[in-house]
Amino acid sequence: MAKKILVIEDETNQAILISETLEKHGYEVCSVSNGEDGLKKLEDTSFDLVVVDIRMPKMNGLETLANILGQRKNLPVIIYTSYPQYKTDFMSWAADAFIVKSSTGLEELVSKVKELISA
Amino acid sequence: MPDREKILTLVLAGGKGERLYPLTRDRAKPSVPFGGTYRIIDFTLSNAINSGLRKIYVLIQYKSYSLQRHIREGWNIFSRELGEFVDVVPAQMRIGTDWYLGTADSVFQNIYFLNQEKPDMVLILSGDHVYKMDYRRIIEFHKKNNADLTVSVFEVPIKEAKRFGVVEINQNNEIQKFEEKPETPKPSPNNPDVSLISMGIYLFNTETLIRRIVEDAKKPESTHDFGKDVIPSTIGKDRVFAFPFIDENKKETKYWRDIGTIEAYYEANMDLVNVEPVLNLYDSQWPIRTFQEQLPPVKTVFSFGERTGMILDSIVGGGCIISGGKVIRSVLSPWVRINSYADVSESILLNNVNIGRYCKIRKTIIDKNVSVPQGTIIGYDPVEDKKRFFVSETGIAVIPKDYQW
Repeated sequence: MAKKILVIEDETNQAILISETLEKHGYEVCSVSNGEDGLKKLEDTSFDLVVVDIRMPKMNGLETLANILGQRKNLPVIIYTSYPQYKTDFMSWAADAFIVKSSTGLEELVSKVKELISA
Repeated sequence: MPDREKILTLVLAGGKGERLYPLTRDRAKPSVPFGGTYRIIDFTLSNAINSGLRKIYVLIQYKSYSLQRHIREGWNIFSRELGEFVDVVPAQMRIGTDWYLGTADSVFQNIYFLNQEKPDMVLILSGDHVYKMDYRRIIEFHKKNNADLTVSVFEVPIKEAKRFGVVEINQNNEIQKFEEKPETPKPSPNNPDVSLISMGIYLFNTETLIRRIVEDAKKPESTHDFGKDVIPSTIGKDRVFAFPFIDENKKETKYWRDIGTIEAYYEANMDLVNVEPVLNLYDSQWPIRTFQEQLPPVKTVFSFGERTGMILDSIVGGGCIISGGKVIRSVLSPWVRINSYADVSESILLNNVNIGRYCKIRKTIIDKNVSVPQGTIIGYDPVEDKKRFFVSETGIAVIPKDYQW
């Protein structure tokens, strides 16, 4: 069975791009547009990994990460953001990986996902 | 100095102190009374204050009512407007619903909460130990070595080291190995007769702390303890150094005690009544503060032959009345009353203990609010004592709090 990934990303284009890329590598992907919806989704579906943006409406990615750690601390979480300055944020250190959206970002994301969970 | 960078101090005060039973029947180990007027945690908190550290969280859980009250009453002395605080943080602040699983878990559960302070370094202390230390020295040492983590270490004879976390270092004080309670502790490279043990004092760069704590939280096989799990996991990955303890007690031998057992508790209290105690409570350069209510002066009355109120080789808290009885080599907390013809020796009496007439009490610890009836004899017949009370291996009887005859 394909491993399941939850993508929490508020920009639709980005969400589609990430989802399609991960699906191409054999993962099953579900995407939601903010942290609150992400946490709700995690309550009723089980996932193998989460990719989360930082700047989002309702609940940002770092707070989402804190909540995920509280409830499912073994679930790997990758932060995928356009803002490298968050790399020095206290909460970012709690993520399994911090990847900056750039020309090579998606490649990095895929290889990190493969490292954490094989398809 | 510590204020230039932001240093957050976490005092782990969840210790159950099971081997201190029955003193820990109703209270966590850090709030066990010590030395007449102190609680064990007062030493760590005083060290922090004397070192200029003013941002302190005390992480609590087990039987914490007495500890919370003590900190509220005795340590509410900071200016929050200047960013200073001693705050009590119970388990389950922001993340999760479990009781803390281990010492590391208590920090993990408060990660988001600590995030508000965004410290550069986090100093992790235990609320279980009695010692005097200027934490500025370990902070300087940590920075000089450009360390990610610095562990304060204490020298003990090799055969005693088994009970502790034992640290192996190279010539540069870099930690090569950290093993909790090893079968055969390795000697220090500087002295073959001693081993270096961890004092439960860890200075982390915040990033290292967070990364290692989260990694540890995700390991299902981990017991989530700093000594057993987190510190060993940093060896080989991070720059980890051992800081040789510098004692502010200024005596010939360095003083650091894990008051872990009734015997250790008894001995550490009895040390204080010596002519030259190892632990000096009278050093105005390194004051140990505590909570004390307003107390009337100590009083001794009667001087008629056998009915003489007297105190010899002892320390006595305020509000005590020694009325026609004898107190020798003992530690008395406030509000103790000794009645006529009673004879108390080599004992520790906590607050509101009343010793009736003609009692003979020796080598006994009596917890708070106990009234010992006239003519009671404790400490002279171990067989008889064991029928009624907890008696330690070395024959120290312990009367629990609120005991009724």
